[in-house]
Amino acid sequence: MEETRIVNATWDVSTFKYRIEGQGLTRMLSGMRDAKLIGIKCSKCGTVYLPGSFYCRKCHIEIDEAIEVGDHGEVMTYTVGYADVRGNPLEEPRVSPMVKFDGCDAWVMGALEGVKPEDVHVGMRVKVAWAEERTGSLQDMQYFIPE
Amino acid sequence: MNRKIAIAGYRMKAASDLVTTRERLTFELTRGLFDDLGIDRDHVGTTIFATNDFLDGRTISNVFLDPPAGVYMRDESKVEMDGLSALVYACMRILSGQYETALLVAFGLCGSQVSPYLHVEYTLNPTYDRQLGLLNELSAAGLQARSFLNKFGYSEDLLDEIAARNLRNAALNRDQARGIKDASAKDIKDSSYLYEPLRELHTYPATDGGCAVLLASETKAKELTDKPVWILGMGQSIESYYLGERNLYESRSTREASGRAYAMAGIDKPEAEVDFAEVSSLFAQQEPILTEALGLYGPGDAEKAYAGDNGIAGSLPVNPSGGPLGAHPICATGLFRLNEAIKQLRGEAGKNQVKKAEIGVVHGQDGVCAQQNTVVVLGI
Ligand SMILES: [Zn+2]
Repeated sequence: MEETRIVNATWDVSTFKYRIEGQGLTRMLSGMRDAKLIGIKCSKCGTVYLPGSFYCRKCHIEIDEAIEVGDHGEVMTYTVGYADVRGNPLEEPRVSPMVKFDGCDAWVMGALEGVKPEDVHVGMRVKVAWAEERTGSLQDMQYFIPE
Repeated sequence: MNRKIAIAGYRMKAASDLVTTRERLTFELTRGLFDDLGIDRDHVGTTIFATNDFLDGRTISNVFLDPPAGVYMRDESKVEMDGLSALVYACMRILSGQYETALLVAFGLCGSQVSPYLHVEYTLNPTYDRQLGLLNELSAAGLQARSFLNKFGYSEDLLDEIAARNLRNAALNRDQARGIKDASAKDIKDSSYLYEPLRELHTYPATDGGCAVLLASETKAKELTDKPVWILGMGQSIESYYLGERNLYESRSTREASGRAYAMAGIDKPEAEVDFAEVSSLFAQQEPILTEALGLYGPGDAEKAYAGDNGIAGSLPVNPSGGPLGAHPICATGLFRLNEAIKQLRGEAGKNQVKKAEIGVVHGQDGVCAQQNTVVVLGI
């Protein structure tokens, strides 16, 4: 008699509701329609969050000062991926940096275009390539390109 | 601590595929441990599970794991985290004075039954990070590795050295799922990139594994074993969820956690007082990041350490067991580090045995790029 057996199973978690704060992400998204990056600044310690947050991690107080940060910034770190997030091989390696935009404390991840993987380096200056037609979605910030 | 707590015994098991069920693994680990100690389930005061519902394929998965652990008609609780967090919880239960013993059970079957990376994808913020489609456990680790190498001016060769040493050590250790006998840096470099600068052999293997550990009060521990290993200090700390709000080249939360653990253990100079470390480094770069955060060597000294000081025969061995590059049973990995430290302190580590083992420090982590960290100091 077989001792154990593998059976296939699935989780049906494809749709669920998830309420989000208007303070951070939606403010960022509405700014993106105007090709602007809007973060939230802590009134106490001055930390600028992007996407914004309704509270400061460090001070643990409610914050709501919207502040525009630059759409130019510096590559803080990067990785070159050979597969997508589900592990499917990519045709071309994909460069994904984390960028610290001017006037912002958080690093933001995105895709970097217009430069060969071997030419990317930490400290290089990049800017946002905005979509022509912007709808107030994350897709407005298409990718980063060298400054 | 107002009571002394010891580890009386443990059982552990890992492979790429254990060809077992969650219930059977739980049963065999706990039954085996009780037999080792000459006790029965009646001797267990309380039980704490460390498993993950997503990986177990059921929510509140302890409801089906309790009976095979001998918890029928007894009390149990669970942490959906690494097993070292469960250990801290179990210690608190003993410290309360309500219990003389506490059983820990932890496992993950990601080698044979579920993708290890998927659960990390589902820890991501669904409205931003997940939408971005760029972040998963591997790409995050790639960002961390690049940040670390760049900060201190190291080349990717350092990652190869770290992985080679771990896989060599793991090959000597029968409790590991993966090892490469006499692995060289070149063997590592020959493996392909997943997310630059990380290669396949810089990353943990998908692992089936689990363990059971029995903690006991001082009196009870001395009844159960001639070789109790004492818990001298514990500390935990957590940092921001967002990778972009941390300096990825360091682990501030591990530094905080170790500060608390050392203070509890009365350790002022960890680099001089700690004999060895077992850290949950899931990717090659995490070993030096964590070791530095544990205060065992200074920032920027990693290259020097990997040139000699931290091998099995060195003055301050780090992961003499081979570490999580040899096996990463999610949820059990921190306790695997604990069990490997117990072997060292008892002089039972065989070919992985370090020269001096009186004080050891162990580390466990949760979250992307070690967001939450637990540090435990052990002694004999
Ligand atoms: Zn603040």
